[in-house]
Amino acid sequence: MELLKLEIVTPNGVIFDGEVKQVDLPGSEGEFGVLAGHAALVSLLDTGVIVISKADGSEVAVAINSGYVKVEEEKTTCIVDGAVALSGDDSDLAKALESAKELLKKTESSAMAIASAVSKVEQIGRSL
Amino acid sequence: MANLKEIKRKIGSVKNTQKTTNAMKLVSSAKLKRTEELAKKSRVYAEKLTELLNEIAQKMQNANADGIDNVYFKDVQNPKKVDIVFITADKGLCGGFNSQTIKRVKTLLAEYQAKDVKVRLRAVGRKGIDFFKFNNVELSDEIIGLSAAPDFKASAEFISEVAESYVNGDTDKIILVHNGYVNMITQELREDQVLPVDSSNLEFNSASTSELEVEPDDDNTLLDALVKRYVEYTMYYSLIDSLAAEHSARMQAMDAATTNAKEMVKELTVKYNKARQEAITTELIEIISGMESMK
Repeated sequence: MELLKLEIVTPNGVIFDGEVKQVDLPGSEGEFGVLAGHAALVSLLDTGVIVISKADGSEVAVAINSGYVKVEEEKTTCIVDGAVALSGDDSDLAKALESAKELLKKTESSAMAIASAVSKVEQIGRSL
Repeated sequence: MANLKEIKRKIGSVKNTQKTTNAMKLVSSAKLKRTEELAKKSRVYAEKLTELLNEIAQKMQNANADGIDNVYFKDVQNPKKVDIVFITADKGLCGGFNSQTIKRVKTLLAEYQAKDVKVRLRAVGRKGIDFFKFNNVELSDEIIGLSAAPDFKASAEFISEVAESYVNGDTDKIILVHNGYVNMITQELREDQVLPVDSSNLEFNSASTSELEVEPDDDNTLLDALVKRYVEYTMYYSLIDSLAAEHSARMQAMDAATTNAKEMVKELTVKYNKARQEAITTELIEIISGMESMK
């Protein structure tokens, strides 16, 4: 399967840079998935969770507050204001979940968007 | 004899100064390392954001022959009201760091006033504020503490206010002046036009061939959000850049001061030794002549 290059940039540096199978993004007009070769697109990102499907089948989730994404055929770049990656071993994960929820609750977007993002984070926390 | 004592005292005081300057140099070099790291991290973000903004602006320009129909891109040929935001340090002892910025602001001010343009000065950093206050120049904004510890939220709040006055039409142009960091030994004065976004400088080199689709469909929503973020981030990044430059400038100044102090101690020690020898010689002559007269 063809892979796409994904880069997630925050004000604190690059938090993800690699080749992935698919990435699901919380666009302001609705969630959408991006595969390799997706047509060029620029979108606002809402409060939510970015789900990255890696080449080996594993999934990584990143909670974000808001940002932008630029999709090109070759490369997808997410520019986000705040992000917390939900991965790592158990003790790290618990901490990450907490800070992710905190990040989401602090945003100014609608209560519904926050609630759905928080529940998604909790769901990920259980499934991992 | 009194001379001897005095030189010794002077040596002591210069040595103390040397200790202080050396400590300040070490502190600055440690802080510089931290700030440099911060700058490196945020540079990527700033670059990507600018790239995205350029691309969208370019797309809109292509779609609309009359240029971009957005308040942030209005090209004002002869601005009547200009806001100058400038960043200086809160503290001194960093060579020409602050005075360079102040000088540039003064030149800009004179230039615009010669053209009969109303200028508002917004100062960040105590040194700049002190200077213009001393010279009885009115400042419409005085912010202390931000340049020593850049904080994204605080800087965003500040620049948003400035940007708002631009949208309201209270000002036609916003210029940001600060002394930026190039490397450990060089600082460079930077002057950026924050708003309106200078669309003539936009570069377009996308690898993509297909037409760019924008979501939400209304271009202005996205562009507005992007420009706002861009302005906020430009301010924040300039603060970090300025802080890094401040530390590198201080490091240099303190390094020079330490070297000078070392040189001075050396000179004074030679002087001290000479004076001591002289004193001994005089004493000897006195003793010998005293014995001579006893015979």
